[in-house]
Amino acid sequence: MAEIDKVDVALSILKIAIVVGALLNVTPIMVWVERRGSALIQDRVGPNRVGPFGLFQSLADAAKFFLKEDIVPLGAHKWLYSLAPMFGLIPALTTIAVVPWGRPFPLRSGRIFEPIVADVNVGILLIFALASLSVYGIVTAGWASNNKYSLFGGIRSSAQMISYELAMTLAAISALMVAGSLRLTDVVWKQTGYFVLFDTIKIPAWNILSPAMWIPCIVFTVAAFAETNRLPFDFAEAEAELVAGYHTEYSSMKFALFFMSEYIAMATVSALITTLFLGGWDIPWYNEPATFLGFLLSAAAFTIKVGILMLIFVWVRWTIPRLKYDILMRVGWKVFLPLAVINILLVALFIAKEWI
Amino acid sequence: MIEYAVFFFFAAIAVIFALVVILHRNPVVGALSLVASFFALAVMYVLLDAPFLAALQVIVYAGAIMVLFLFVIMLLNLQKQAEEPTRPVQQFVGYAGSAAFGIALVYYLSKYVVLELPASPFVADARTVGVALFESYIFPFEMVSILLLAAIVGALVLSGRGVQTS
Amino acid sequence: MIPTQWFLILSAILFAIGVCGVLTRKNGITIFMAIELMVNAVNLTFLAYARQFHQLHGLIFVFFVMAIAAAEAAVGLAIFISLFHHRETIDVDEANLMRW
Repeated sequence: MAEIDKVDVALSILKIAIVVGALLNVTPIMVWVERRGSALIQDRVGPNRVGPFGLFQSLADAAKFFLKEDIVPLGAHKWLYSLAPMFGLIPALTTIAVVPWGRPFPLRSGRIFEPIVADVNVGILLIFALASLSVYGIVTAGWASNNKYSLFGGIRSSAQMISYELAMTLAAISALMVAGSLRLTDVVWKQTGYFVLFDTIKIPAWNILSPAMWIPCIVFTVAAFAETNRLPFDFAEAEAELVAGYHTEYSSMKFALFFMSEYIAMATVSALITTLFLGGWDIPWYNEPATFLGFLLSAAAFTIKVGILMLIFVWVRWTIPRLKYDILMRVGWKVFLPLAVINILLVALFIAKEWI
Repeated sequence: MIEYAVFFFFAAIAVIFALVVILHRNPVVGALSLVASFFALAVMYVLLDAPFLAALQVIVYAGAIMVLFLFVIMLLNLQKQAEEPTRPVQQFVGYAGSAAFGIALVYYLSKYVVLELPASPFVADARTVGVALFESYIFPFEMVSILLLAAIVGALVLSGRGVQTS
Repeated sequence: MIPTQWFLILSAILFAIGVCGVLTRKNGITIFMAIELMVNAVNLTFLAYARQFHQLHGLIFVFFVMAIAAAEAAVGLAIFISLFHHRETIDVDEANLMRW
């Protein structure tokens, strides 16, 4: 067993601090974006009292969460009731460990700084593994609340999540076949090249710009909506039907944890979509140099892409109505799953003919 | 050094949560403890140089099979079934017999099975497993897929929704 | 490097706990969970030996065991559901039509 390299440990802690700090800050920003964005779409103003343009509304919300009374319903299972929000938060925070968020560059001592917390060989499988654990938060919350509406919300939502996990996995496999590896860093490096059309026009080799990848991109994005329980797939909350679904009986800090885990899962899934289909940290038409400046530019490009995707999440939420549950399950199994499988064959054809 | 600490910690987690599974009254708590035990076992698989199978263990066992268990327990509302011990003699024999079996197995394993450590690390990533599956083990692979199809049809028929006559 | 023997001992302990669960519990679902525990203990043994002897056969076998355990869990739970619909209980002592 090699001895532990102290500089490696220090760099890992720094990377974890950066990534987790960024993720934990997503929630206040997204709360403001969601409320002002939804107001914009619905032709009203939104919160504008607390600070300029309502920017400090998130601070007011956080203060409210800290000061509210924490009510535990009678007959709820005490341990599982308290542990359920953590089951939802842990997968959301840990899946970001295998996503590369910048260009590797050499430090002054010759060591290469890789901006990815854990560059394992089976990176994408870890993401699927941890995403499949996020079902437990909802199921446990629904059951432990001792409330039949919460239980219905929890069971319906978890059935939807495990159905769309399959479509998500198979759609991601198409992107991985192009890269030829399960590592996300290899997926991004393959997308830093160029497609040369008609020997003159150079298009960045992002997966979304290749025709075989349009279907998996759409399937993956729709499945990502289903996985994070955002509209049009938000049966877990279903405001008009089930009071508030699986988090009806939760108040103050535990509800805040559910709230946070939804936005953090949204950010993680957006990071995944950019890595698999939008070229990760690659800046189009610009070969980033392997320096600190190149790293900063690539990290900024990654953040911009993730931000655009999260705006699309908010946009879709306030535009498209909720589907009926049986239609949703039928579409998940009978439309998206066959599309993803057929697309694997299509991508195999493209790779064999070297069109990709 | 770190490997030993990780091994002991996750082995303890696996054993403790396995004990919770068989000893706790409430099957929902038992199912969630089994998930924790499977997760600890996945870490064991990583220590055994098989990260691909560790991820598969979490995806298949902890992520799909145990969700199915939880669905059945919650939909059938099974946690309200009180378990009165109505057969104390058989239960005592069960505890004693399995304890004796476990102790004997551990004793003989520690006394007689001494395997020396392998010389070089073992690479078991997705590519090698995939090549082996599609070259040497292609026939069992196809048979397992037919078996899964049979299981799906069987589960549908048993639950009463197999044939839709409209 | 952790000696293979330790993994075998852990697997033996988990297997014995599974056997205890199958022999002593009355709730059918708990018995089923103890069976899954036994299957996982066996998977751990396969992988320990696969690493010991540097062969992939252990891993492939674990792969197939996982697939078959998934199929078994699905069909077994369907059987439990239909048992529950007939008898309103999941107690294995009540399912005694075929006992002498």
